[in-house]
Amino acid sequence: MKDGIMLRDPTAETSSALRDRVPPFDTLEDRTVALMDIGKMRGDEFIDRLEQLCSERGISTRRYKKPTNTRVAPREMINDIADNCQAVIIALSDCGSCTSCSTHDLNDLDKKGLAGVSVLTTEFEQAFESQKSSIGLDAASVYVEHPLQNKTTEELHRSAESAFDDILRAISIEVPSLHTSKAA
Amino acid sequence: MSTSAEPGDSFVAFVKQGCETCQMLDDVLGRIAGQYPITVYTQDDPSFPTSVSAIDDTSLEKSFSFDVEAVPTLVRVKNGREVSRTFGWHRDDWQAMTGLGDLGSNLPLMRPGCGSKSREPGVYDALRAKYGKLDFKSRPIVLGEWDDEFEATYDRGWSDGLPVVPPTDTRILRMLDGTSRRSDEIIGNVPPNLAPITVEKIAINAVMAGCRPEYMPVILTALEAALDPLFTMHGLLCTTCFSGPIIVVNGPIAREIGMNSGINCLGQGNRANATIGRAVQLIIRNVGGGRPGELDRAVLGGPGKYTFCFAEDESDPTWQTLASSRGIDPGKNAVTLFQGDGIQGFLDQRSRTPEELTKSLAMSLLAVGHYKLCEFTNAMLVLVPEHYGIFRDAGWDRDRITSELHKAMVRPGKDVIQGAHGVGEGIAVGRRDEMVNKFWPEGLLIVQAGGKAGLFSAICAGWTGGRFREESKPVTKEIVL
Repeated sequence: MKDGIMLRDPTAETSSALRDRVPPFDTLEDRTVALMDIGKMRGDEFIDRLEQLCSERGISTRRYKKPTNTRVAPREMINDIADNCQAVIIALSDCGSCTSCSTHDLNDLDKKGLAGVSVLTTEFEQAFESQKSSIGLDAASVYVEHPLQNKTTEELHRSAESAFDDILRAISIEVPSLHTSKAA
Repeated sequence: MSTSAEPGDSFVAFVKQGCETCQMLDDVLGRIAGQYPITVYTQDDPSFPTSVSAIDDTSLEKSFSFDVEAVPTLVRVKNGREVSRTFGWHRDDWQAMTGLGDLGSNLPLMRPGCGSKSREPGVYDALRAKYGKLDFKSRPIVLGEWDDEFEATYDRGWSDGLPVVPPTDTRILRMLDGTSRRSDEIIGNVPPNLAPITVEKIAINAVMAGCRPEYMPVILTALEAALDPLFTMHGLLCTTCFSGPIIVVNGPIAREIGMNSGINCLGQGNRANATIGRAVQLIIRNVGGGRPGELDRAVLGGPGKYTFCFAEDESDPTWQTLASSRGIDPGKNAVTLFQGDGIQGFLDQRSRTPEELTKSLAMSLLAVGHYKLCEFTNAMLVLVPEHYGIFRDAGWDRDRITSELHKAMVRPGKDVIQGAHGVGEGIAVGRRDEMVNKFWPEGLLIVQAGGKAGLFSAICAGWTGGRFREESKPVTKEIVL
């Protein structure tokens, strides 16, 4: 992402230039997590596995899918998520436009009070950091191995499994295990 | 003019195609190029001049770095240093500088040039920001190429809810031109976080508020008044009450910067009124950290917390101005900050004598805060010209009006003690047998302002902090230019 206009900070600069994000909840019990599929190919397979893992640990989820990864989410979808969920996992960004758009979605939902995290591939860590800084939100992210488009479904599921605890930790201090969950 | 060029010297010229004198010198530049190394920078059309190849300076970077004020400009360089320059066409100068005795001999003796594009209005500030040496201490915030700068200011929490002007280096530089004070000078500590504030930070917030550079002296003084411990800005900001600083400007500066003291002066529509008050509030928010819902705990707040700033009408010589009544020499510039709420209208179209009007005003003033509370808040009365005219025509001046109003508001304690007349609110029961003033003797500020027609004055209730008579007071400060 290229740099644009430069402004000067009008604040006392006693805190980060980035706005604090909505902090993780103590627990996800009695809360609903939105699983937002950004609409990029193969992301649904990754999210399928996240959904299963949540279900196995007794975490309530609602599934959403953006019409396209190349635009920000429709207003109605953002409002629906904000009305029905308290946290959001946005996945899976593996390109420039989806990284940018999904970070804006994360920002919109943060401003509506949702704890959120974006899942991206390692190749887009710098792009996410750059977008974070231009939006001004200290947003949370978890990275999985790039590339993903040539992976098998099994490989994508394994990727979801290994990232799962990190993803949960971004939205909840308590990370339920299979043994302690309601479903267990 | 120094001695003429010698071997090893070189020349730099600045031209623009849009300048007739530059066009006239096309061949002259070619002639110089035949004798000396010359670098020609063109400000508008890279194909001009035709006699010598020119370097495109449409960015104006070189014109700025050579501090070119007019075109054509010819600079002679020796050993990498400028030794002389001339601008416009003065044949003798050009011949002397180049040592070419017949240079432009077919041309008129003199032709003025044109202004350099780098000096056009607004351009020079932008060039200073882009190519000049900046010493800003504030953190740069770089947005993405496609980001909307207005949305970015909202996202960062810098706005009071209305759009702010994005604080770019060019705009900040321009704003700092409005004051002779150093940009790194610390003005004070801004509550509630008691963060030190520099002139630079004030300029940044003034840009965002929409101020013009010439407002800076007023903003700086208003802020100094707000930071005077006697003004208790800390408590005023954090209070659960409605109040905020009301800024009244006196002196010629109010007229010079176009402030409104007349029709609708407490309302919208005047840039200086609107943005000076807003700048102070943005500083409290951004530098002090006073954000609603966090440390600003106003249960309702009020529209005056966006901005509440106006000038006093000083056109009637019989009226002693607010600043003058508070110790500022007449004719000086000053700001007065009053801790106050929004306005309560005072409607009286029937009173014809000063006595009638005094009683009538007293009735409305008694309602400030609560009808039964006394010496609990101050108040500001904004007296419109038609109401003042009733006093003036009877020979009443500010002092007389003030003292008569105070007298008209003295009541028996038994009527305003807690529980009296079936109302729990009121003054302490122990004051039952006293005669009680509504306000402290110095607690009623009167300002004259407003349109010439309309018998509608305004009362601004003061903040409850005013009950601590010696601890919290309005503050007046002279504006030092």
